[in-house]
Amino acid sequence: MIALELAGATKRYGRRSALVGVDLAVPAGSAVGLLGANGAGKTTALRLLLGFARPSRGAVRLRGRDPFDPASRRGVGYLPERLRLPGAMTLRRFLGLHGRLAGLGAGELGREIEATAETTGVRERLGERLDSLSKGLAQRAGFAAALLARPELLVLDEPTSGLDPLGVRDARDWALAARARGATLLVSSHVLSEVERVCDQVVILREGRIAAAGAVDQLLLPGETLEDAFVRAVRG
Amino acid sequence: MTAPLRAFAALAAEAFRDGLRRRFAFAIALFLLAAGMGAESCTSLGSASFSVNQHALPPEVLAGFVAPLLLSWQALAVLVITGVIAADHLARPLAEGSASLWLARPVSRDTFAAARLAGALCIGLGAGVLLLGTSAALVVARQHLAVGPALAAAGATALGALAVGALAMAASLALGRSAVLLLVIGGVPSIALANAVVLMGQLLHPDLEVGGVLGAIDRFGPPLGTAVFAAVAPWNPHVDATGALGPALGRLAVWALGATALLALAFRHTEVE
Repeated sequence: MIALELAGATKRYGRRSALVGVDLAVPAGSAVGLLGANGAGKTTALRLLLGFARPSRGAVRLRGRDPFDPASRRGVGYLPERLRLPGAMTLRRFLGLHGRLAGLGAGELGREIEATAETTGVRERLGERLDSLSKGLAQRAGFAAALLARPELLVLDEPTSGLDPLGVRDARDWALAARARGATLLVSSHVLSEVERVCDQVVILREGRIAAAGAVDQLLLPGETLEDAFVRAVRG
Repeated sequence: MTAPLRAFAALAAEAFRDGLRRRFAFAIALFLLAAGMGAESCTSLGSASFSVNQHALPPEVLAGFVAPLLLSWQALAVLVITGVIAADHLARPLAEGSASLWLARPVSRDTFAAARLAGALCIGLGAGVLLLGTSAALVVARQHLAVGPALAAAGATALGALAVGALAMAASLALGRSAVLLLVIGGVPSIALANAVVLMGQLLHPDLEVGGVLGAIDRFGPPLGTAVFAAVAPWNPHVDATGALGPALGRLAVWALGATALLALAFRHTEVE
């Protein structure tokens, strides 16, 4: 089954094309890294996949449905690149609202919040307002929201932003744990080493087009690192 | 409860709390206090307060002027309050980026917009219940007026608040906050003025046709003022506006439904950051 699909997806903003005829299919259960220089179209691709914007041309499917259909986003966890938490809410209320929207019942909601907050290291902060959290803790809170209710599809946009080295390792472990239980992962990141550790496939975008795509080991030439392959792809 | 309804209830409750946390809520509280004190003073006026040619004005005549004026301006204040809150109650989470967190969940655009509108309406109408409820209780208890017109005015205010809130929210998807605030603060009183001029003209001269800008606003705009004025008119024994209330409420209901549909349509075509 295909979890995410872009078919000839083009997105234009006025005269500028952010994506041009991108074809991408992410099978369920796989872990795909979306790479590219700044402005290559990574976040635009994620926005189309989550139904935040419509493509100018082409088709987008999220779990087999139009992403504008709310049912397509059932079981989706999302961590945005520019995480803007509603500062006046407490972390518990924030996670509670996420849980309710994800369909958790009243009985399991409290348990799930405690468990996810424990996993992501923010359990002690559940009673605090979100605007009192440091950048790293806010990112952990964002992760907690994304991981709540054990999502089948995890979309992470620059997931290690603002995290210290310990947090980066934790984030990798959370992503790998999600993958181990069968979740599909789509990770957009500039931290190639983390992508290499978490993902089995990568897609490299250049100026809105796919410059390279495939299994990580197939993209690398002998003796190359992912960084070498990335530079080769984005510089043409 | 179905999943969309559960999502709506959870988001609407949060939208209500979000509105209460804003500084404007404090201004509303102060306004309510001042308006409540004003209502207390206005309804304390007795027959000895006014005299014409050394004859004390009969209390029912005095009440027939004071009560409609009091509830009318308070109803219009409720409409402005609702519009001001709605002016950025949807646009702000979109601009700040927090909306994307909720919209990544199985929540439709319609549900999200309706929840934000409901949050704004709860605050506006909550203020309305306090304000109009207090004033209505005072005029009924002190001036012995019927309660029916107050209930009709409350219904007209609720419909008007829905229309103003939805229009302000839809406008905020295309315009900046200042522009929407100007539209609300300038537009609601202008419409009410046009409605008042035309209604009074027609009460005095039933065949009168008011033209110009005021006539056009009254004819084509939402009858925000007409519905409220016609609702409270029965309190004045010298005014007969019985035929005006039904059509005004009908037109206002159409405006409220149209404005809500416009908001839903506009938000479906809005790109989320």
